[in-house]
Amino acid sequence: MTRAIVPQLVRKDLLIWRRLILIFYGVSFACIAAVGALYGRIPDRVLVNLGFTLLVTPVGTLGIVLLMQTNVFEKAKSTQPFIMSLPVTVREFTLAKLLVNVPVFGVLWLVTAGAALWFAFGLDLLPLGTLPMMTMVFLGVLVAYVCILGVSLLSQSLGITILAITFFEIGTSAYLWVIVFLDPIRSSLYGPVAVWNSTAIVILTTQAFAAVAATVATLVIQNGKRDFV
Amino acid sequence: MDTPLAVQCEGICKRYPHFRLQDVDLAFEQGTVMGLVGPNGAGKSTILRIVMGLVGPDSGRVEVLGHSMPADQIAAKYQIGFVAEDMRLYESETIAFHMEFMRSIFDSWDDDYAATLLRRLDLLEGQKVKGLSHGQRVKAILLLALAHRPNLLVFDEPTTGLDPAVRKEVLDEMVNALEDETRSILFSSHNTLDVEQISDYITFIYGGRIVESRDKETFLDGWRRLRLTNPNNARLPELPNIRDVRQSGSLCAVTVNDYDDAIPGEFVEAGLSLDEIEPLTLEEIFLANVQHAKRVAGEGAVS
Repeated sequence: MTRAIVPQLVRKDLLIWRRLILIFYGVSFACIAAVGALYGRIPDRVLVNLGFTLLVTPVGTLGIVLLMQTNVFEKAKSTQPFIMSLPVTVREFTLAKLLVNVPVFGVLWLVTAGAALWFAFGLDLLPLGTLPMMTMVFLGVLVAYVCILGVSLLSQSLGITILAITFFEIGTSAYLWVIVFLDPIRSSLYGPVAVWNSTAIVILTTQAFAAVAATVATLVIQNGKRDFV
Repeated sequence: MDTPLAVQCEGICKRYPHFRLQDVDLAFEQGTVMGLVGPNGAGKSTILRIVMGLVGPDSGRVEVLGHSMPADQIAAKYQIGFVAEDMRLYESETIAFHMEFMRSIFDSWDDDYAATLLRRLDLLEGQKVKGLSHGQRVKAILLLALAHRPNLLVFDEPTTGLDPAVRKEVLDEMVNALEDETRSILFSSHNTLDVEQISDYITFIYGGRIVESRDKETFLDGWRRLRLTNPNNARLPELPNIRDVRQSGSLCAVTVNDYDDAIPGEFVEAGLSLDEIEPLTLEEIFLANVQHAKRVAGEGAVS
């Protein structure tokens, strides 16, 4: 008799990395609380910059540390032959890794993005016109993360994953700088209302599509591998 | 009725940038032990990984316990226990964590047997993997591989780096596992003594090719060392089965494979006198095979 193996693999990774995950979630919530506590005590402009760093750093770091531990070091520390000697296919192995990393990162990313939006617009730190751009920034972080996750799974190489982190971090910043200078985005950026024009919609749709496509591509490419240890 | 095969490989080829596994044919019945011997880099681990479905061959066919690999690897792997020298467990976790994980995967996991193995192998459930010695780590992996009662055990260099006491414990458990007569073992080792001790079949691999694969008795019986005296420095007969010749003054030791009773007569006819015919240990056969294979490869490269 056989059992569904993917839930067991997901459970195993969550159990092994539970402390790390809890610590980063704790740090994230502490940072959100800190930003809230700083409101009104420091200039709004400083709070926006400091708040963005405080909110994004823990979620970004968790994403990178977790994918390193579960994907790259699985191979480097030779635990992969143990796992692959079990009734597991490459597809199931990859799916399990995605089901560990994406939700753990995704939930914190959603919480962080929600908190950032609330601070920005609930507390009137930023004009509402920046809402589409902020959404693009947070979706850009998600796309970069999913791409780095895909590279880490496909290569399982520390060097290549670090290169991917560098490439996607610089690439995302450059891409967001390009977007912010596009006329349809820039013209309404500091306005009192959020303008969801066709350019903004196309960019957001493309970002969402890129995140899904990168995940599916990771599964498809990985499934085609014939050698896996 | 014929005993079903545990493993059957036909014409397996696998090419890497600096290594090629070529036309590997390997088969042994369920309930038997196949030992793979060969020097480092001969291709033993590659064969085992292909058998496990961890590496896909470029060509050829692999069946494990009647399941085609790697296509039907899930069904096969439920019946396989794999132990590899380079395999590691999760350092931050305990042996109990790994046992629980295996229990969650294998319906066949046997708690009583696992407890017995813990006792016999001197392991503690609560021990963290990080604190285990190399020998304890190998024993823990062995426990995990055995306690779900697989039909086939695949061991890649299981005794490498173990002290004699732990090596004996590991070998004893391998032998104990064979009490179930349908259980089979495929294992590789540098340690010819281990292979000689527990194998029913021996396969010698060199340079990605199978040089010899036979049942142990035929394998060992096929090799002899002839101790001869050659006072007149006579020319030795050119027999295809000569694998090694050592001369020291008038004394001459000739190692032959595919030995038959007519061979000593050839030397006597050539003017040598026969002093003694000795059987060879697997270690000596291993060395003679490696030297011969190197020589043949060298001659091939020159021509």
